[in-house]
Amino acid sequence: MSAETPLIRIDSLVKQYTRDTQVLTVLDNLSLTVDEGDFMALMGPSGSGKTTLLNLIAGIDGPTSGRIFVGENEVSAMSEGALAKWRSANVGFIFQLYNLVPVLTAFENVELPLLLTNMNRARRKKQAELALSVVNLLDRMDHYPRQLSGGQEQRVAIARAIATDPKLLVADEPTGDLDAKSGEEILVLMERLNSEFKKTIVMVTHDPKAASRAHRLVHLDKGVLKEDVHAERGKAVGMAAAISVSST
Amino acid sequence: MKFLPLILKNAFRKKTRTLLTIGSIVLPLLVICLLGTFLRALDRPDPAVTRGMFRLVTRHKVSLANFLPHAYLDKIRKLPGVVAATELDWFGGKYGDGSAKTIFSRFAVEPEAFFQVFDDAVILSGSPADWYADRAGCIVGKNIADKFGWKTGDKIVLRGDIWPVTLELNVRAIYQIPDGNAASLHFNRKYLEEASPQFGSTLGMVWTKARDGKAATSLIDTIDGMFENSSYPTKTETEKAFQMSFMSLVGNVKLLVTSIGVIIVFVILLIAANTMAMAARERVTEIAVMRTLGFPKGTILGLILGESVLVAVFGGLFGIAVFTLIEPTIKRGLMTTPLGTFASGFSLYPGILLFAFLVAVGVGLVAGVVPAVRSAQRSIVDGLRQVG
Repeated sequence: MSAETPLIRIDSLVKQYTRDTQVLTVLDNLSLTVDEGDFMALMGPSGSGKTTLLNLIAGIDGPTSGRIFVGENEVSAMSEGALAKWRSANVGFIFQLYNLVPVLTAFENVELPLLLTNMNRARRKKQAELALSVVNLLDRMDHYPRQLSGGQEQRVAIARAIATDPKLLVADEPTGDLDAKSGEEILVLMERLNSEFKKTIVMVTHDPKAASRAHRLVHLDKGVLKEDVHAERGKAVGMAAAISVSST
Repeated sequence: MKFLPLILKNAFRKKTRTLLTIGSIVLPLLVICLLGTFLRALDRPDPAVTRGMFRLVTRHKVSLANFLPHAYLDKIRKLPGVVAATELDWFGGKYGDGSAKTIFSRFAVEPEAFFQVFDDAVILSGSPADWYADRAGCIVGKNIADKFGWKTGDKIVLRGDIWPVTLELNVRAIYQIPDGNAASLHFNRKYLEEASPQFGSTLGMVWTKARDGKAATSLIDTIDGMFENSSYPTKTETEKAFQMSFMSLVGNVKLLVTSIGVIIVFVILLIAANTMAMAARERVTEIAVMRTLGFPKGTILGLILGESVLVAVFGGLFGIAVFTLIEPTIKRGLMTTPLGTFASGFSLYPGILLFAFLVAVGVGLVAGVVPAVRSAQRSIVDGLRQVG
């Protein structure tokens, strides 16, 4: 449940892209707060600005105007170098296609973000093994991504995301490339990360079933916030389905 | 250092391509080592001089193909500062089937005078006395003796071309010149003179041993000055300058060799740059993910550049190792050819090996710069978008 302290604060956010002479507004004067410990699903049709919003929150893209705060940091005002350092310590990323490094084992993939810390080898090993144990893949730590199933790859990606123990996890269609069973396992894992490990999660999804696991559903359409529903768990399924239907 | 395993794994991600790239560095590097060693051999101090052998070579000013009057030999011997002088007359001719493999230098000389001038020659088998005693005798250098399997007592038949006679020679000694070439056959000029009387009044070259360096310097001008206004003007030079003049027959050897080296470096640079560009292009998304995880631009740049340099270093070390192994074989092979004089200067010069290694590292650095900078500069969002 939400601790009701905003971890993310977005004020009058505008994001525009210029293609040739045409200016495309992807996010239009969007304001939003996300409480610490929240699990928020971002829904909306393709091109609604969900992934752009996720990228801006995570500090891998910059706004055209407006301000984004994550904790005490104004992400929108940070330099590229400062953002890289901030991301490595504060944000965990989960991608639709897992994006593991194919030449590294599961363990080495999880250890990757830890290379940017001052941890010594023994400490990195301990931390990576801990993250792999959370996703229940300690026994596959020496396997390469090609030796793992899609669900297992995504669990390794989640272990990588939590290896540095960030407060915020951002997930872009984390179940989008998985079968129903594996998708369910990932969603259970994300719920656990939220409830047990108090991670704040912002998840982009098209899947109402995935969105139903969130405590809050934010619906974007053409860069504008259309719906923002806080829900009790269990009631969210119908609500996500309703939003999904209304967006199509 | 904690990134080294990652660099190594990325470098050998596509093993065949990496091994081919390493191979494309190894082979040109071998050529660079060879050319560098050759240039160094050309530039090395005259080994005869370093042993106190101040030898001069006098020939016709126009070319080696022009003969000099035989009387010049005695005139030179009488000059102050001359310790000894001998003629060396090119016989030419054919040995065996006359193919390229059977070509070596054959000279008619005065045996006693020859050993006075080349008194640094080491007799490995037989003796000069045996040669002096046998008018049909000859001595052969160790390099060609080894090549053709000759030993003292063997008979060698040379079929003349300049001088239309067939010589049956007995090997009476095998010699070696320290730090020098020993790939010639020398026989008694009187044997040729008897077989071909018109040979007697001419000579090809006069080799003079000077008392010291000062005498050698002044003798060059003295000898050439003595014959300047004759019908047979001479050109006198040091032993090394004479040998170098053969190389100049094929043009500016150093410029040629250096140009080949530069072209080779440029070619490996293109190959390595292409490989690195391919490797970086294939990993656009992966690099974007790494930057998303917080890898700074500088680290990404270092990883790609490190990968490029690592492959080049492997190529460099492997190339140097292979050259170190094959250099003695190359030297042995060249010692029996007309390049033998220079091949005697072949060695594993640390400076050349270091230079070759630095070339490899430089190629790795330059080849990796553009892909590395591009990878580091590309926007994360654009990189992630390539996921599909």
